[in-house]
Amino acid sequence: MAKIQLKELAFARSGDKGDVSNIGLMAKSKNIYDFLLKTITPERVKEHFKGMIKGGVEIYPVPNIESLEIILRRALGGGATCTLRFDQTGKSMGQALLRMEVQADEALLKEAETTDREILRRYSPISGSNVQPIKR
Amino acid sequence: MKEIRIGSGSGFWGDLLEPALEMAENGDVQYIGFDHLAELTMAILNRMKTKNPELGYIQDIIPWMKKLLPISVPKGIKTITNAGGANPLQAAKEVKKIIQELKLGPMKIGVVYGDDILPYIDEIRAQGWKFKNLDTGEEDIERIRKDIVAANAYIGADLIIEELKKGADLVITGRVSDNALYVGPLMYEFGWDYSERYGDRIAAAVTVGHIIECSACVTGGMSNMWQVSERPWEIGFPIAEFYENGEAVITKTLGSGGIVNQWTVKEHLLYEIMDPANYMMPDGIADFTALHLIEEGMNRVRVTNMKGKKRPDTLKVCIGYRDGFIGEGLAFFPWPDALEKAKWAEQWVRERFKRLGVKFEELRIDYVGVNMLHGEAAPIEDKDFNEVGLRIAARTKSREEAEVVRREATHLWTMGPIGASFGVPLDVRPVIALWPSLVPREAVRVESTIMEVSG
Repeated sequence: MAKIQLKELAFARSGDKGDVSNIGLMAKSKNIYDFLLKTITPERVKEHFKGMIKGGVEIYPVPNIESLEIILRRALGGGATCTLRFDQTGKSMGQALLRMEVQADEALLKEAETTDREILRRYSPISGSNVQPIKR
Repeated sequence: MKEIRIGSGSGFWGDLLEPALEMAENGDVQYIGFDHLAELTMAILNRMKTKNPELGYIQDIIPWMKKLLPISVPKGIKTITNAGGANPLQAAKEVKKIIQELKLGPMKIGVVYGDDILPYIDEIRAQGWKFKNLDTGEEDIERIRKDIVAANAYIGADLIIEELKKGADLVITGRVSDNALYVGPLMYEFGWDYSERYGDRIAAAVTVGHIIECSACVTGGMSNMWQVSERPWEIGFPIAEFYENGEAVITKTLGSGGIVNQWTVKEHLLYEIMDPANYMMPDGIADFTALHLIEEGMNRVRVTNMKGKKRPDTLKVCIGYRDGFIGEGLAFFPWPDALEKAKWAEQWVRERFKRLGVKFEELRIDYVGVNMLHGEAAPIEDKDFNEVGLRIAARTKSREEAEVVRREATHLWTMGPIGASFGVPLDVRPVIALWPSLVPREAVRVESTIMEVSG
């Protein structure tokens, strides 16, 4: 077991719906998804953000894409149009979640590293190339 | 199998224009949807229309259409746009002039309007509908009634379909849901109606609309893939190839920069939604927990097994109301002791506010570069920072009080710690707060019409 930050295991992206901050948390492998599903609880998320979330936290599993949808209520200072937050629409909230520390099996960390390498290998643009989508 | 290629040409007011032109040129699309409206936009456009009845639409539509239509019209590409904002009929008149100037006619412009319920909101209330606030649970809009400046229903694709059936080459709408700009053409092309039998098909269109409606946000913008996005400065906007069987491929304009892969699609599926099993739109309810994503080539992601349910009986309505002002100030402090200087300056402004007796609804002070974004969730590092900013923001009842905040912050520039640096003072701005609610579908008096442009 190792103490690691969520950023090693998952990607996150966040946005807003009124005063709700919604974070999509995407696991880097199936096993990591299973781990996140039992590890990331509403209580833990609320605790992680200290006093920033004034309302409740809900977590929806999205197993088909190995992700979690995390809903933070009353988390954006009243919503984009009236908030005093510089980050009016909560774009940085997902990155803040990735700071969370968890105790995880080192095998999971290995799987995450494999995914990170695979992303670089498969998608890195070749300098000067002009990759065209293949039309069927 | 019949296939429709539909792309997103704009995801918000102020989006890039070139990707839309490149899509018309090289995207091999039949439709391009343009979304320009955010929650606050309708309030701004309403105010413009009140001052001048010939305004209140997204004026960018004029230079944009001048560039887009000469490319799209000869190719038969149809444009669906909600740039009509608070004044779709006026927007259509302006576009008509452009078509005439450029001699692109004959053309038919479909105009969809009536999403603005403010003129008759009290009649709906008189029938017992209270417009409960979905965020706060407050039961009745009575408390804010006199401050309401906008109330628009997020209408569905019904009348877009109607206008396409009448032969519209271009459809200009008011506050239809962003999603309906894509669902409309797909339902029209495949001949679907809103009955149960097309539930999953429409849900697939709703899902695909959601995936592409924010333009670059699924092609490498705002993405965890930022380091592998190709030529991001030439980012292409997304295109969906939608098949009659309810499957779709998400891709982007041929030869453009950016990236489409399973991760960019996942990111956007999860973006700004609530319950992923019930993504509720005026045209249908999509279940994002059933679908599968398959990467089938460079910048091509196939989406299969999209499911969902029939459309809801209520429409979302966004009510905007005046709710005070925001005053803001900013100063930066350099090394050495940058953080200590910022803390000193914070105390200085707090004491000044006390001395002046300013009343705030809320006051917020952040250290830029230290805790402004991640707040309490970030540890404050113990180091001698190169520079730290102090951001002071306050919400007040009156413009005068907000002015005090702005002015005191500027005094910090000459009375603050050594080295205090500053830019241009920020303007005080009025706050339009939002009250999200629902309205019965049948209470919204939507209308549409064809505006003919001769050749």
